[in-house]
Amino acid sequence: MVAPGSRQGRKRSQALPQPARPRPALARAGLVLAGAGLGAVTALAIVDETGAELRATGGAATFLGSLTGLVGMYLALLMVLLVSRIPAIERVLGQDGLLRWHRRLAPWPISLLIAHALFITIGYAQAARSGLGHQVGVLLTRYPDVLIATVGLGIMCVIGILSIRAIRRRLRRETWWLVHLYMYLALALSFAHVLALGPSFVGHPLTQVVWSVAWAATAGLVLCYRFGLPVVRSMRHRLVVTEVRQEGPGVVSVICSGRNLDKLAIAGGQFFFWRFLTRSMWWQAHPYTVSALPQPPYVRLTVKAVGDHSAAVARLRPGTRIVVEGPYGAFTKYAQQRPQALLVAAGIGVTALRSLLEDMPRNAAPVVLLRGTRPEDLVLRKEVADLVRYRRGRLHELVGTREQAMLDERSLPRLVPDLHRRDIFVCGPEGFVTTIVDLAARLGIPAEAVHHEAYAL
Amino acid sequence: MKRAGWYLLAGAVAGFGGVLGFHGGGTPAPAALGHPKPGGTSAAPAPSAPSAGPARSTGPKARQGSATGQAKSATGSVVGYGYGELSVTVTVRGSQITDVSVPLLRTAEPYSQQLAQQVIPMLKSEVLAAHSARIHGVSGATYTSEAYAQSIQSALDKLHAG
Repeated sequence: MVAPGSRQGRKRSQALPQPARPRPALARAGLVLAGAGLGAVTALAIVDETGAELRATGGAATFLGSLTGLVGMYLALLMVLLVSRIPAIERVLGQDGLLRWHRRLAPWPISLLIAHALFITIGYAQAARSGLGHQVGVLLTRYPDVLIATVGLGIMCVIGILSIRAIRRRLRRETWWLVHLYMYLALALSFAHVLALGPSFVGHPLTQVVWSVAWAATAGLVLCYRFGLPVVRSMRHRLVVTEVRQEGPGVVSVICSGRNLDKLAIAGGQFFFWRFLTRSMWWQAHPYTVSALPQPPYVRLTVKAVGDHSAAVARLRPGTRIVVEGPYGAFTKYAQQRPQALLVAAGIGVTALRSLLEDMPRNAAPVVLLRGTRPEDLVLRKEVADLVRYRRGRLHELVGTREQAMLDERSLPRLVPDLHRRDIFVCGPEGFVTTIVDLAARLGIPAEAVHHEAYAL
Repeated sequence: MKRAGWYLLAGAVAGFGGVLGFHGGGTPAPAALGHPKPGGTSAAPAPSAPSAGPARSTGPKARQGSATGQAKSATGSVVGYGYGELSVTVTVRGSQITDVSVPLLRTAEPYSQQLAQQVIPMLKSEVLAAHSARIHGVSGATYTSEAYAQSIQSALDKLHAG
């Protein structure tokens, strides 16, 4: 079987197209736009409120209700945009950067929308001088689209609760992901009542149009980048499993072959979501790093068995067809700020390090630290050693328990004396990455020069 | 990303200011639809003080002339109904109701406002046809119809008493 081994000498320029460069200015423009939208919806809720309405019985609660509803729905729109994987933003922040923002933002829309439901019920009950219970009945039955919007809010609450870290950890990744999809349904259900009842929309055709266009465009982006583009790419490359090779304890490499791989723009350190079309795995896509850049017609991923899916990868049969989504990730050579680089990887993090290394020029002189508890945990170490040697770099292997092979303020500068002219790229399990990022901060390395990719287990 | 908060804030200020500016200086605000205008044909001025009680009488605001054949008008009490409150001004000539208008309509939210504004012209034509507060009302707007009839009745009572 022919398969890519270590190809330290290959010149990339003659073979593969380079992916578009990340443009931080575009991400900043996105931030300003997002802020502008937030300011606009807040202003919208305020300008439509008259003093008389505010002073009317229940007016204050009703005003707070429409303000929280409007801002909450807008933040929900931003949450969807954050996971729509707009390439221009993704290249700058990376998939995990986007998800971090998504997670940080998540509590706000949910709590605002719950507050919205409460305030509106209270405000209307005060205006009608009726009890809260009675008003709930009136709202659900007599106002248009409120019933389905309430169902939508219920779905959001369930998903919100399941997303609380302590609960989410107990769920299987696939279960959680499937449940999460219902968020799109919840948002769709909530849409109608905004236009039918929102003070900023009733009788205001302009805001109705702007709001509808914003949501339609967001839905379009999601469909395009999360569904259309992956389908087109997969059809174009038609990847199939060619060989599954054991690399170390619980670690396998999958060598795939496909068409037109010389036209696939991918940077070292990036990953795909892989969907293997077998009877038990077709419905789930998992992120695995490309451990060797494409050498048409081959591309390789390396996976450690930590869950059901990654364990099943080891049992894949040659000929299995693959659908991919990606490539994603900002953990690439483009992130580098300073002249040279220090690459640090623990465990299976070596996969991203290896392809990143492959992307570096011949005079890069990188310093590479590989960390593992046992010698056999340093998978791909032979390939990494070849790539490092070819680039006139240095390789340090740190084997042993955390106490035996410690990386701290004293040992790291001793291993890498020119630390202050190097960017740090660190990749591995979450705990390891956090340790190194903290250590870099304590050593006075600016955050822009520290790049990380953590594997959540 | 560095200084992400500042970029967000700058955008937010711009967006906020933009909407305020557009709303203030732009075309006639569509929001005006939400504000009821006092009936133009009514001889009675709209009650100026906001009235809180559900059925507090505002009293007859004006009575022009006392001879039969001359138009007289009075504003009925403010009647609260499920979704807001309203009062009606009635103009009579002899025993004929010649005009009805709604100087005060206040609802907590725009949906009810919109409904009421659809219903009020229908109620008006019913009253002008019946020449009394005894109207069938508009189906689907029972509360509004009842409040409307009640306010008219109180206005008529005031006219007769005066």
